[in-house]
Amino acid sequence: MTLLSVKNLRVTFDTEAGVVEAVRGVSFSLGRERLGIVGESGSGKTMTGRSVLRLIRPPGRIAADEMLFDGQDLMKLPEREMRALRGPRMAMVMQDPKYSLNPVMKVGAQLMEGLRQRDRVGRAEAHGKAVAALEAVQIRDPERVMEAYPHELSGGMGQRVMIAMMLIPNPDLLIADEPTSALDVTVQAEVLSILDGLVRDRGMGLIFISHDLRLVARFCDRVLVMYKGRVVEELAAQDLLHAKHPYTQGLLNCLPRIGGDRGPLPGLDRNAEWAR
Amino acid sequence: MALIEIENLSVIFNAKGREVRAVEGVSLSVEARESFGLVGESGSGKSTILRAICGLAPVSGGTIRLGGAPVARGKAFSRRVQMVFQDPYASLHPRHTLDRTLSEPLAIHGLGDADRRVMQALEDVGLPTSFRFRYPHQLSGGQRQRVAIARALMLEPEILLLDEPTSALDASVQAETLNLLSRLRDERGLTFLMVSHDLAVIDHMCDRVLVMQHGRAVEELSREALAGAQMKTAYARSLFEASADRMLG
Repeated sequence: MTLLSVKNLRVTFDTEAGVVEAVRGVSFSLGRERLGIVGESGSGKTMTGRSVLRLIRPPGRIAADEMLFDGQDLMKLPEREMRALRGPRMAMVMQDPKYSLNPVMKVGAQLMEGLRQRDRVGRAEAHGKAVAALEAVQIRDPERVMEAYPHELSGGMGQRVMIAMMLIPNPDLLIADEPTSALDVTVQAEVLSILDGLVRDRGMGLIFISHDLRLVARFCDRVLVMYKGRVVEELAAQDLLHAKHPYTQGLLNCLPRIGGDRGPLPGLDRNAEWAR
Repeated sequence: MALIEIENLSVIFNAKGREVRAVEGVSLSVEARESFGLVGESGSGKSTILRAICGLAPVSGGTIRLGGAPVARGKAFSRRVQMVFQDPYASLHPRHTLDRTLSEPLAIHGLGDADRRVMQALEDVGLPTSFRFRYPHQLSGGQRQRVAIARALMLEPEILLLDEPTSALDASVQAETLNLLSRLRDERGLTFLMVSHDLAVIDHMCDRVLVMQHGRAVEELSREALAGAQMKTAYARSLFEASADRMLG
């Protein structure tokens, strides 16, 4: 079943130096599955994710032939209805906890804010739900974290707090932008299994944005490879490590390998033709 | 005699009246021109060891010796040891141009010929000299990390402490940065002490690696032992197995 279908998405920025096209005609559809988007920074993967929630600020502009989420065209919804979708129906875990959490608000207050304001939940119940969400992302000492400010948490803890925050309203679609890049392998595995459980048990759709090809190959069902605002290759995740496109192959080849010869790592060939 | 000798190092922080033992009884030694890696999960104390060497974390017990002499911080230390931090977005002064960032160590140490040295430093790390009067926000992450490396090399140190120097970078930019570090190491005979959570990066760069957990040393591995999966402790093995997709082939 298709949860989200995007046709010919374009994101453009009008800058002093002229029009910059961050996303140029991206189309994809998402069921209740794990879709990976990989590419270098600047390839438009984050912008693609943000566009789905219409979180692009002026001077950025979004255009698409169609962006259907559960039967509704997101391009045509008024802002008020869009706001009602964000949170309960679709949510995004942002990349960097340092910049995405409110630095002057305790973690607990931030976790409870949505419940209190949107769902009109009582204080005690909101507190209980927030603690439960922190436990769900494997935070060992949730009561302490509730009382902490974001600067008192490590990067990995901050990232898990953001995931917990997005999972409280139980969305149908989660867009996770580099959710595990600040985590080390062991915690990364935990967070991935949490996300995996949500896709399997709750039937959530997940867009997983990452620059780590090996991680995406292991974790996702399907993968879009983006280059300069376009999708250059779409393939099943298990085929990613044997990708055909020279750009995807280049991304794989420039990774060091255990037991490699330690010679200079190959650089990435970039061909303007691929971005056409 | 090893260039860097750390014996029984402990680092203890006091946080809100609670003692946090970040590093406990860690010993290691790094020969001149050797590259030594530290791996472990976050909170294992690997970065804290680098910070303790620089004086950014308190040495609560044990000794750190450089070239046989107990470490003494000050100008002489800065000439020998420099550090490159993980986050190129946070480690450069946002309101200083590259020129100012790169010439400041020269001014502090009273080294002349700043003009030529700054241009040379930009060239050495593969940045166009036209970037000289740019600000960090006008550069990409990879370019900023090149600036951070150039800054660390301004005083021509013999030891570079590298704290996750490529983990904030894309795969292609990581490859370029690792190649740059290898080239500079060969050209200048540098000694690296490098922290990373990526075993493949460590294997690519380092001759030996120390696996850490909860502030303690778990196991030291040679490069051969790492590639051959000859680790003795369960923890080192679990780290290795979590990196199985980083193997050659």
